[in-house]
Amino acid sequence: MALVNWLRRNLVVIAGLLTLGYLLLPNIIVTVFSFNEPRGRFNYEWQQFSADAWKDPCGVSDLCGSLSVSLRIAFWATLGATALGTMIAFALVRYRFRARGAINSLIFLPMAMPEVVMAASLLTLFLNMGAQLGFWTILIAHVMFCLSFVVTAVKARVMSMDPRLEQAAQDLYAGPFQTFIRVTLPIAAPGIAAGALLAFALSFDDFIITNFNAGSTVTFPMFVWGSAQRGTPVQINVIGTAMFLVAVLFVLASMVIGNRRTKQKA
Amino acid sequence: MTNDTSGDVRLSGISKAYGSFTAVHPLDLTVPQGSFFALLGASGCGKTTTLRMIAGLEEPSAGTVFLGDQEVTRLPPYKRPVNTVFQSYALFPHLDIFENVAFGLRRRGIKSVKKQVEEMLDLVQLGEQARKKPHQLSGGQQQRVAVARALINHPKVLLLDEPLGALDLKLRRQMQLELKRIQTEVGITFVHVTHDQEEAMTMADTVAVMNAGRVEQLGSPADLYENPRTTFVANFLGTSNLIEADVDSRSGDEIVLKAGGGKLVLPEARCSAPTTTGGKVLVGVRPEKISLTHAHDAGEIPAGRNRITGKIADSRFIGVSTQYVVDSPVCPDFEVYAQNIDRDTRLVPGADVVLHWNPAHTFGLDATQSLLAGTVGSVGIEEEAAV
Repeated sequence: MALVNWLRRNLVVIAGLLTLGYLLLPNIIVTVFSFNEPRGRFNYEWQQFSADAWKDPCGVSDLCGSLSVSLRIAFWATLGATALGTMIAFALVRYRFRARGAINSLIFLPMAMPEVVMAASLLTLFLNMGAQLGFWTILIAHVMFCLSFVVTAVKARVMSMDPRLEQAAQDLYAGPFQTFIRVTLPIAAPGIAAGALLAFALSFDDFIITNFNAGSTVTFPMFVWGSAQRGTPVQINVIGTAMFLVAVLFVLASMVIGNRRTKQKA
Repeated sequence: MTNDTSGDVRLSGISKAYGSFTAVHPLDLTVPQGSFFALLGASGCGKTTTLRMIAGLEEPSAGTVFLGDQEVTRLPPYKRPVNTVFQSYALFPHLDIFENVAFGLRRRGIKSVKKQVEEMLDLVQLGEQARKKPHQLSGGQQQRVAVARALINHPKVLLLDEPLGALDLKLRRQMQLELKRIQTEVGITFVHVTHDQEEAMTMADTVAVMNAGRVEQLGSPADLYENPRTTFVANFLGTSNLIEADVDSRSGDEIVLKAGGGKLVLPEARCSAPTTTGGKVLVGVRPEKISLTHAHDAGEIPAGRNRITGKIADSRFIGVSTQYVVDSPVCPDFEVYAQNIDRDTRLVPGADVVLHWNPAHTFGLDATQSLLAGTVGSVGIEEEAAV
């Protein structure tokens, strides 16, 4: 009886912990195996502790090259998609023009379409245009599919913005440019940041579309896929763990800054 | 100060149309420097559009806007020496109170704003809150920030768009006095838009009553209340009892009218409509001007007063006064407000009574207009009641 009562009281906590475990377990495995010293070519069985891979993360040929390609593509794709997506979102919310409804639904298409279909049709397009596959075709493809996510994120924010705030800024001697910099942009910033983060994550680990349109260029997900056929170097786990840690640090930093701000206000 | 006209607002022939809908019909209006001017009307009457045309947030379809001697019709809002207190304040949510108030100064390139902002925040009693964000303040505090943010720029004209609409009644009363005090202190021209007739009358020196894109009447609150010229004004500002009457004869500067079976006297000076013998006229009288006497005591009523007989249909005790609704042959719902000084216990629903008042308190209106214009439920007020 006591046990049932205890369960009843703590059910939410237990469910939360189980979910958290479910989400984090793969990351923990990745981290643990980054300290493994595998006997064969595959890093699937725990042998013994070693920090060798951490000391030499670029020890496997082409790994760091592919990582740098991925980071560069993710950076430029994020920049391009965020800039274009923000402008599209503002246009769609603020202005009434012909084909606005059509554009509104077309923007969602890349999100709904199966990635393989999109990848194949993009390849057809590039080949017909005679474009050379590589960094640029990957970048163009990434900007294209990141765009819908950025537009969706920014649009939600812009829609909830009170247009009177901009009128108030104009009333207080801010010209159009100042109004945008001082009022519009800061208020839309959380939406834009969310869109940019999504774009970066999507671009960085995209495999299907990239694989179709990469030519001889190798991105990090493609490298992982390729090496998994022949054996998995421990360095892949190292990179994975490092990325996870960077993400956690980002979240912690933003929490600390947020806390400090609320404390200052109080 | 009195000869300074730099804070005058002059609108000449200004109008605004959205497609086929005319929000504001050609309008001429002069608001003298240093005055507290109210634009009063129901929602959709064009008062906010008029205000926004002065601010530059709305471009007039025709006509010109002058601030002092400067024509500003085509100037964008950020180049006009006016500031606005917006409905629901429009404070910048990402900036703290200090930066909200400093916004206008900074945009004009003023570097050292600290002293001015602090003085301004003290004026509105918010010195302690300078580093808080707008959402951390109460409605009344936000309202004061909005006023401070506008006033710090020393505009020639301060525009207020229903600034007290979001506050509860008690706070609203307090802010009305506060705003009036600030206006007297700084001497800036205030143009205040409101749908609350009591607010307009308490605060403004001059009130313009707007209806369907036109100014119905303009004047001091007392003048508008005592001498309404249209049924809309008579009903929108307070309550009026309107009786349809026939012009019977004239004696000196008084017009004698027939209504029902009885006679009513109307001073000619208080009749805004042309009167010809045999023609019709609307007779109005305010509820608080009327005395109520039980029919048994009718003989005690002094001679020379306008009288009407009726039966009490309803009475509402509201503390300071009792409000009666009297059913009379000339007007089905005659409103009478009696001060609770000596209450006659016979004055209960069903009692036969005589209503009487000094003829000098009677006003006359053109009989061709709707009796119900400006009452709750009539066109234009419906929306307001629904909100």
